[in-house]
Amino acid sequence: MKINHLLKVICLSGVAILGSCSSDDDTPDTGLTAPATYVFERNGETTVSFSGQTTRIKMGEEILNAFKTETLDEATIDAMFAHVEGANDFSEADLNASDKSVRSKTAASQDYFSDNVTDANAIKAEFDAFIKGQVDEVFPNWGTTAVAGTPGVIQEAGGGSDRYVNAKGLELNQAFNKGLIGALMVDQALNNYLGVTILDQTNNSRADNDNEVLVDGKNYTNMEHKWDEAYGYAYGTSANTANPNPTIGDDDSFLNKYIGRVEGDPDFAGIAEEIFNAFKLGRAAIVAKRYDIRDAQSAILRRKISEVVGIRAVYYLQQGKNGLEAGTVDFASVFHDLSEGYGFIYSLQFTRNPDTNAPYFSRTEVQGFISQLMGGTNGLWDVTPATLQSISEAIAARFDFTVAQAGSTN
Amino acid sequence: MKKLLGSFFVLMLLASACSTSDDGGEAGGDSFDRAAMLVNFADNIIIPSLQKFSTDITALDQATTAFTADANETNLLALRTAWSNAYLSWQAVGMFEIGKAEELSYRNFMNVFPVNAGNIDANITSESYDLGAVAAQDEQGFGALDYMINGLATADADIVAFYTDATNGSKYISYLTDLVDRMNNLTTEVLADWNGDYRATFVGNSGSSATSSVDKIANDFIFHYEKHLRAGKVGIPAGVFGTQTFDDKVEAFYKGDFSKALFNANLDAMQDFFNGKHFGSNATGESFKTYLDFLNTIKEGEDLAEIINNQFNLSRTTASGLDDSFTEQVRSNNNLMLNTYDELQKNVVHLKVDMLQAFSVRVDFVDADGD
Repeated sequence: MKINHLLKVICLSGVAILGSCSSDDDTPDTGLTAPATYVFERNGETTVSFSGQTTRIKMGEEILNAFKTETLDEATIDAMFAHVEGANDFSEADLNASDKSVRSKTAASQDYFSDNVTDANAIKAEFDAFIKGQVDEVFPNWGTTAVAGTPGVIQEAGGGSDRYVNAKGLELNQAFNKGLIGALMVDQALNNYLGVTILDQTNNSRADNDNEVLVDGKNYTNMEHKWDEAYGYAYGTSANTANPNPTIGDDDSFLNKYIGRVEGDPDFAGIAEEIFNAFKLGRAAIVAKRYDIRDAQSAILRRKISEVVGIRAVYYLQQGKNGLEAGTVDFASVFHDLSEGYGFIYSLQFTRNPDTNAPYFSRTEVQGFISQLMGGTNGLWDVTPATLQSISEAIAARFDFTVAQAGSTN
Repeated sequence: MKKLLGSFFVLMLLASACSTSDDGGEAGGDSFDRAAMLVNFADNIIIPSLQKFSTDITALDQATTAFTADANETNLLALRTAWSNAYLSWQAVGMFEIGKAEELSYRNFMNVFPVNAGNIDANITSESYDLGAVAAQDEQGFGALDYMINGLATADADIVAFYTDATNGSKYISYLTDLVDRMNNLTTEVLADWNGDYRATFVGNSGSSATSSVDKIANDFIFHYEKHLRAGKVGIPAGVFGTQTFDDKVEAFYKGDFSKALFNANLDAMQDFFNGKHFGSNATGESFKTYLDFLNTIKEGEDLAEIINNQFNLSRTTASGLDDSFTEQVRSNNNLMLNTYDELQKNVVHLKVDMLQAFSVRVDFVDADGD
C-alpha cells in the first residue's frame, strides 16, 4: 500500500532530520573537516603507517588456525604466540622475519598495565593456559565425543560444524580469539595509542607534533604514528585500508569482524561509520594541532569500541540462552555461542569508559561473571538460562544499549 | 479541522512506524482476519499435508518390514518406491517447524543432507548409537535411508547382499528398521499434537506479538525458503557459499536422479502455502497472498503478491532446464544452478523485507555467524 511507502520516506527523512539535529556525539562546528578517506600526506608522500598492527593481526590469525591443528604441540603454539624475530613460526616469511609478537602486546597498554604488571602477567598466563588446555586436554580427545566432564568433539544440529571443547564445554580457541580482541586490539588502541600519555607525553611527542618534528627517517610525527597504530588494530588487514568500511567485518577474525557484526544489527547501524569518522577526524586534528578535537574523537572511539565488546558479549549470552531454552537443545551451538561470549566478557576488562577513564567492568567483575558462567561442576554443561540472563542484564545496564537490542541482529 | 486530524493521524502512524525494535503484544495495525488465515493454514493445508505424509510414512514402514523379512530385489524396489513417495510428500511438511515439530527439531531429525556415511557405517558395525542425539542428525532420516537403499553399492543385488550377509546382515536390518521407526514415531507425535490441543493453540494465538502464530509461521516459512529451499537444495551444491561446488551435497545424492523432483515439490508446496491453496485441491483460502491483497501492498507500482507469485513462477521455469540430478547439473553446467539460485534469491527480498514489513512482522532468526 502506498502509505507504507510514504511512511518509509518520512521515517527515513525523520532519521535524517534527527541525525542532523542531535549532535551529542559529534564535535560542534570546529572548522575542521576530516578527509573522505584515511589518507594523510606530507610533501606528496603518505604519513600513515601501521604495519606492526597488520603483522600482529596476521600472526593472530595463524595462531587461531594452530588451535585447530590437533597434531601441534604446546611449544610450537607458544612460540607463535611469543614470536621472536627470525624464528620460523608462521607460514608467511614476513611474519617470521618480524620482530613483533602478539604476546608482548597482550595486556600491555600504557594506561592500564604499565604500573600493573601483576595483572598483566596473570592475563598473559591465562592466554598461555588456553593454549596449554587445548594441547593437553582437547587435542588428545579430538575424536572423543564430548559429554559433561569429558573433553572432545560435539557436532552442531543439522549435520553442522564440529566443536572441540574442554571438559567444561568451553571452546578454548574461541576464548583465546575473542579474549584477544580485548587484551590486544582494544587494550592497545584505547588504552595505549589513544591515551594522552602516549600521544602527548612520551618521547616529547606533543612538542614535536607542534613543531612538525618527524621521527628519524620517517615522514610522520610520533603523535601521527601513534594514532595510526590505534587505527591499524581496527583496519590493519582491510581490503582498502584507507577506506575500510565497504568490507568491514570481512577483513579479520578480531576487532574488524565484530565492528562489522554490530554494524549489521539495525539497532546499531551507523556505528562503523562513527568509528571510522572519529579515527579520520582525530587524525586530521593532529595534523591541525587541534588537540581538543583529537581528544573528543578519542573519547568517541573509546565509547563506541567498548560498546562493540559489550554488545557482542550480551549477544552471545542471549543466543546461548535461546538455545538452552529450545525443546531440543543443540549443545554444540550453545557452547559455541557461550565460548564466544566467554571471550567477549573477558574482553570487557580492557574496555575504556571515557567518563571514568576506567574499564566498563573491572577485572574482578569480569572474573565474577566468568565464575558464574563456568562455576558449575561441569561448567557450561550446567549453566542456566537465568544466569545467562542475569549476566546479560548486568552488562547492558552499564552501557547505552538494552539486552533486547544486543540480543538480536534484527 | 479534518485536515488537521488527518495530519495528526499521519503523525501518529509515523510515530508508531518509526519507533520500532521492541514490539510488544499490541494488536495488529490492520483489520485483516488473521484468525481466519490461521484456520485455513491449519485445517486445509498443514494438517492434511501431515496426514498424507503420515500415510506415506506408514507405507514406508510396511515396505521396510517386508524388505527386512525377505530381503530381495523386488522388495528393495518396493521399499524404494515407498521412500520416494514419502520423500515427495515430506516436501509439503518440512516447512512447518512449529509447535511439536519445533520442540522435537523434527526437520533436522528427518531430512539433513548430506548425511555422514562414515558415521552411519560405524553405527551399523558397532550397533552403538543414539538417534536421539543432535549430533546424530546427519546419520538418520531420508538421507540416511537414501544411503541404506541406494548408496551401499551400485547394483541392486549387491545392495541386497548387505542385508542378507550371514555376519552383518542383521545389523543392517536393525539399523534400517531403527531409522524408519524413528521417522514414524516423530511423525506420529507431530500429527497427534495437531490433532490434539495444538490446533486450537495455533489458531487462537492470532495476535501480532513476536510469539503469535502469524509472526512465527511467517518466519518459519521464510526461514525454510531461505535456508532449506534456496541454500540447501540449490545454493550449497552450486558453491554459492564457498569457494567450490559440492556435487555430493545434493538432496537424495545416492538415488542420483531425484534431487530436482524434490526441489520442485518443495517449491510448489511453498508457493501453494503462500497462496493459501488447500492441500490436494484447487480451492484457496486466506493466506499471505490475500493478506497482502487486503493491505493492497504496492511495490514500485506493482502488486506485491503478484510480484512474489511471478518470481515463484520464474524460479520454476528457470529450474525446469536443470538435470533431474543436481549432482549431474553441478558437474556439467553449474551456471544453470547459479541462475536458479539467483531467481530464488530475488524472492527472499520480496518475502523477508517487503512482505514482513507489510505484515509488521519482525524477522526472528539470525544468519549464522559462519565461524
